[in-house]
Amino acid sequence: MTALTTTPAQDETSGWRTALPHVVPFLGILVLALLLPFVSNDYWVLIGTRAAIYWVLISGLNLVVGFAGHLAIGYVALLTLGAYTTSVLVAGNVIPAVPVFAALPIAGLVGAVFGVIVGLPALRLRTFYFAMSTLGFATIVTQIALAWQSVTGGGIGITGPEFPAPFNTAWGFYGLCIAFAAVTTWMSANVARSRFGRALIAVRDAEVAAEATGISKPKMLIAIFLFAGALAAIAGGLFATLQTYITPDAFTFDLSVLFFIAILIGGRGSILGPLLGTIILTILPEIAAPLAAWSTFLYAVLLLVIVLVMPGGIAALLDFRNRRPLASNRSIVPRPAALAEIVRQRKGGKLLKLRGIELAFGNVKAIDGLDLDVTPAQIHGLIGPNGSGKTTTLNVISGYYAAKAGNMTLGDEALPPGQPTLRAPCGIARTFQTPRVIGEASVLQNVMIGGSIEGRATFVEAMLALPRNGEDERKLAAKARALLGVVGLETLADVRADRLQHSELRFIEIARALMLDPDFLLLDEPAAGLSNDEIERLAALIKAICARGTGVLLVEHHADLIFDICHQVTVLNLGRTLAAGTPAEIRVHKEVVSAYLGG
Amino acid sequence: MAISRRDVLLGSAGAISAASFSFPAPAIAQSEPIKVGCLAAMTGPSSAPTIGFNRGVNFAVDAINNAGGVKGRKLELFMRDTQGDPTKAVNATQELISQAKVHAMWGPLNSGEALATTPIMGRAKMPNLHPCVVESLIDPVKFPNAFRIAPSNNQWDDAVRNYCLKILKVKKVAVIGDTTGYGVTAVGASVAAFKKDGAEVVYQANVDSTQPDMTPDMLRAKNAGAEAIVVWSVSTGMEARMFNVRATMGWDVPFVGHPSMASGELAGLVAKPENWKKVYAIGYKSCSYDGAGKLPPKSEDLVARLTKANIVLSDTLLWWVAGGMDCIELIAKAVGESGGTDSAGIIAYWNTLTTYPGYFGNYRFSPTEHNGYLTDEIVMSEASTAKNGTFALAPGYT
Amino acid sequence: MLASILASGLAAGAIYALVGVTYNTMFSTSRVMSFTAGQLAMLGGVFGSMFTLKLGLPIIVGFVLTLVCCAIIGIITEFVAVRPVLKSLDQHLYVLSTLAVALMIQQVAAIKWGTEPQPFPRLVGFGEAILDEKFWLPVAACAVTILCLEYLYRRTLVGRAFLAIAEDNFAARALGLPERNLRVASYALAGVIGGVAGYSGGQLLLAFFANGGLLNFYGFVPVALGGLGNNRGAIVGGLALGLFQQAANFLVGGIFSSVAVFTLFIVVLLAAPQGLFGAATARRV
Repeated sequence: MTALTTTPAQDETSGWRTALPHVVPFLGILVLALLLPFVSNDYWVLIGTRAAIYWVLISGLNLVVGFAGHLAIGYVALLTLGAYTTSVLVAGNVIPAVPVFAALPIAGLVGAVFGVIVGLPALRLRTFYFAMSTLGFATIVTQIALAWQSVTGGGIGITGPEFPAPFNTAWGFYGLCIAFAAVTTWMSANVARSRFGRALIAVRDAEVAAEATGISKPKMLIAIFLFAGALAAIAGGLFATLQTYITPDAFTFDLSVLFFIAILIGGRGSILGPLLGTIILTILPEIAAPLAAWSTFLYAVLLLVIVLVMPGGIAALLDFRNRRPLASNRSIVPRPAALAEIVRQRKGGKLLKLRGIELAFGNVKAIDGLDLDVTPAQIHGLIGPNGSGKTTTLNVISGYYAAKAGNMTLGDEALPPGQPTLRAPCGIARTFQTPRVIGEASVLQNVMIGGSIEGRATFVEAMLALPRNGEDERKLAAKARALLGVVGLETLADVRADRLQHSELRFIEIARALMLDPDFLLLDEPAAGLSNDEIERLAALIKAICARGTGVLLVEHHADLIFDICHQVTVLNLGRTLAAGTPAEIRVHKEVVSAYLGG
Repeated sequence: MAISRRDVLLGSAGAISAASFSFPAPAIAQSEPIKVGCLAAMTGPSSAPTIGFNRGVNFAVDAINNAGGVKGRKLELFMRDTQGDPTKAVNATQELISQAKVHAMWGPLNSGEALATTPIMGRAKMPNLHPCVVESLIDPVKFPNAFRIAPSNNQWDDAVRNYCLKILKVKKVAVIGDTTGYGVTAVGASVAAFKKDGAEVVYQANVDSTQPDMTPDMLRAKNAGAEAIVVWSVSTGMEARMFNVRATMGWDVPFVGHPSMASGELAGLVAKPENWKKVYAIGYKSCSYDGAGKLPPKSEDLVARLTKANIVLSDTLLWWVAGGMDCIELIAKAVGESGGTDSAGIIAYWNTLTTYPGYFGNYRFSPTEHNGYLTDEIVMSEASTAKNGTFALAPGYT
Repeated sequence: MLASILASGLAAGAIYALVGVTYNTMFSTSRVMSFTAGQLAMLGGVFGSMFTLKLGLPIIVGFVLTLVCCAIIGIITEFVAVRPVLKSLDQHLYVLSTLAVALMIQQVAAIKWGTEPQPFPRLVGFGEAILDEKFWLPVAACAVTILCLEYLYRRTLVGRAFLAIAEDNFAARALGLPERNLRVASYALAGVIGGVAGYSGGQLLLAFFANGGLLNFYGFVPVALGGLGNNRGAIVGGLALGLFQQAANFLVGGIFSSVAVFTLFIVVLLAAPQGLFGAATARRV
């Protein structure tokens, strides 16, 4: 059927075997880092220390820039903050002197708080605006460091903290920084591989779909802003020690650009890539000393080349697995029968009821007094000409639009209007007219997104790879693989989603929606772009889903599919119900036939 | 390691090598060049002084090497461009120490760089001569390896204050600096010292050097009754705006302060040449000409030598070039007199210099005083009178 | 004192407003916010000083050459940093590509032109003190630019085509408008406006490489205040910012005035993300 190997069994040993290729490069870099002091001199140890410290910051920033896609170009501000906080605490010119190992965590806390403050605009604004606000913050911090002379020493600066033995030698401090870097790599990798990391990418690349799966963007972003801010401030404390003395002019915009570009050279959504990027950018100006004056220019050229020529960065170069060609003759063969093992059987259940829904865009009434009932274990078809309000109805149910009038109830409870992230917890899942999948993530990860709200581990548990997170991951992965089996895509589980065909993306969306084990499933033109064979298989799949007790609301243009599988059909025209009834009734409905079915 | 008075007084490189026979040294060390590291901001903001210093450094190195080196050992320069960035300066310092293994270092000049690199050089016991003005850099206990061959900021401050109070005889001053680290600190120190001497500081401010209009601060200084404006900034743009505003206000107040007020660019930045009059910038006896246009004899000789060697002086300052030369000669002499490139020997030699006649001025070092430059070498000069990197003495000196 | 605040505030505000209009002009045809807006204004000052003072050309020749050079830089930006990333606008790669170009411009200026501010020629020799031409040239330039833009947009075919593309890119293309050429033209126009901003403000800001980053920010604030693509909003926002900043300079002094501006900026962004005169967001689903 396909040229790909079958899914490996998910026991412990094979889990390790699949993880190993990911871990080996990191271990390799760590071994090289530990060997460095034995084969070089204090100078290269200093450069190594610098790279390690930058990486402590970048490993956190990577989650903000590389995973969440927020262009924070002023993160040197948090480095400055951490450097000054640690130095001031250790110097004791505000409160009695604090030992450096206590000062670092305090700086981390301060950094976490300010990380959120700097990040706040990102909750409402994207890209350019956010970039500008981080830049603004970077300027404020430097100005304050200059002006607050009694604390920061103003322009004359302040001595950096000194670590106790054995960390007070070049090698000892190098070892400490490498240890910090190793720990932060481990923590950021844990976050990246957990449902939080996937959710970040989902918010970045498919924000609307992420909301439908119940991912709350503010919560996610605040968590990583806390994390990245803390790491940046700790890096600042280490930076101050390395510099021995800090003045505001040490925290240049060039440094900020270095942090930012290291991530983009490394590649979005990768950890190894930005790590290599950091090492390269730290060493490059040293070995190309004659280029020192041009180094920022060089960074800029690199950035442009990366953006235009290889947007995937180093990570894309290293992604050998996704260069293997996919079989061209593959077909989607769902196995609806397997659904029984994954989705629970429901009996009865609540009714999803819409009454008198009205919605207008400007002066155009998109929905004008719509009543609709979606019953458990039934397939409800929603048809009508273009612009009749079908997708808009789905969007009202999903909470993307708040209706102007009317109400929605689920059983006896009102569905709060206009809050898309609250639909998943109510058991309402959906697909989209144009599939909204994360192209850069694997098929399996895309499906696992659907189960985000089922995870029980907190962000901290995920960061520290505590057992509950492992359990979540295993459960989600197993369920996602099983569902990929149901929709017939299990052989493509590890392939990047943007390499798939359009029809396959539709089935990924269905699998993702099923991760919720939903009471109601809203399908927006699932048959568009499918071949006749595929439509038949889709029909069988939808029927099987319905048979488990899920209520399905199906928006579709393929009249055959609708009349084939629906229990109830509602016909919309200009936002109003033109007709409603069983397929048999609709088929003979005069107005429908003349207006829509065309005889 | 006794040194003869004669050697100290003879400043030429030839004399150093002539004295070399009395110090037997291992054969390897004899042929190995004397490696001198230079940390210089050759590009980037505030790179102008280092470019001048480098001319002096290169000139002195060539002169010594052409005369046969120090006891047969040539001087070798290791230049590192730090771009005024403390991070790059720290990297370069460690590289010079651990990789290039230099024997002595010059620089850096920029305060942020110097503050960060001094402890690193201290750890490596690297003999270091630098021209940075920041007070705290010189501490013979913490950094026994670091010596200053230029005035400290306090010395500058003393000179400016003395000129205001004793020669201009003003009672009320305004002190204005930019918002850089240097500006903020210098204004603070200056204000404190003026108050201590009983003068009235009627206005003080740190102004963003990019601010397009200096009228607000000048107005406030005028309304407060300032009789002189003391300027602590390296921003020539800001200084030019202040000079121009003074002219448009029709105010006749003198500016006294930072040497950058005498920078050549100002000629283009001021709206009219007369706006640059009555501006008194810090200068040095060795680099100031009198009413007859004459420099001190030693400096006249130096300018002649530099002109002969085609060293351009018109776009830099003589004191930068002279300071660079003094630095190299101090290192060369220390190696010659101490018999080798051992850092303890070099440092010990510098500590014995009770009078060292340099080109830039006379230096005096001791084990407890590493601020070698003498305050009475500092004078005020007329900012707009640059001639071959030298200036006319400000009015009031005899 | 008040007169001084007004003069320098309006002058600085007019420059910020023009940089804001530069942003908007590029945005209107491409939906791209470009980091090069401030750099174009910086180049206006640097080229102006270079042609007139360094090369000794007559003022009018220097002015025209400055605008031509800025227009060329604008066109290069379109080709290098905008066109290649337009097809994936939702990935916001333009933030990175235009940042890269802006950094390149700034670095080349720093290395080739120098890192010290250099003088800018006096143009008409008009006025003294608060009537000095350096305060009123930017204001006049801002007014003239606005009048020209109004004429262009309301009375000429090209201008209406600009508006059509700004309104609805797809529809405009469907109507057969040469969308690509119009976009290039708008980047050239943006270059000219940025050049005018820098040239008219040259005496105030001097020919200084670091002005680019500064104007990038201070020019963006009016856009954020006035709403993306809204030129009137940018003008009002720019002048308000200039007056606010200069008033802060007078009242609280140097260091804290920039802190005040940044704080104001972030607060406005949080309170009114679409700007005070901006339109609501586009539909997402």
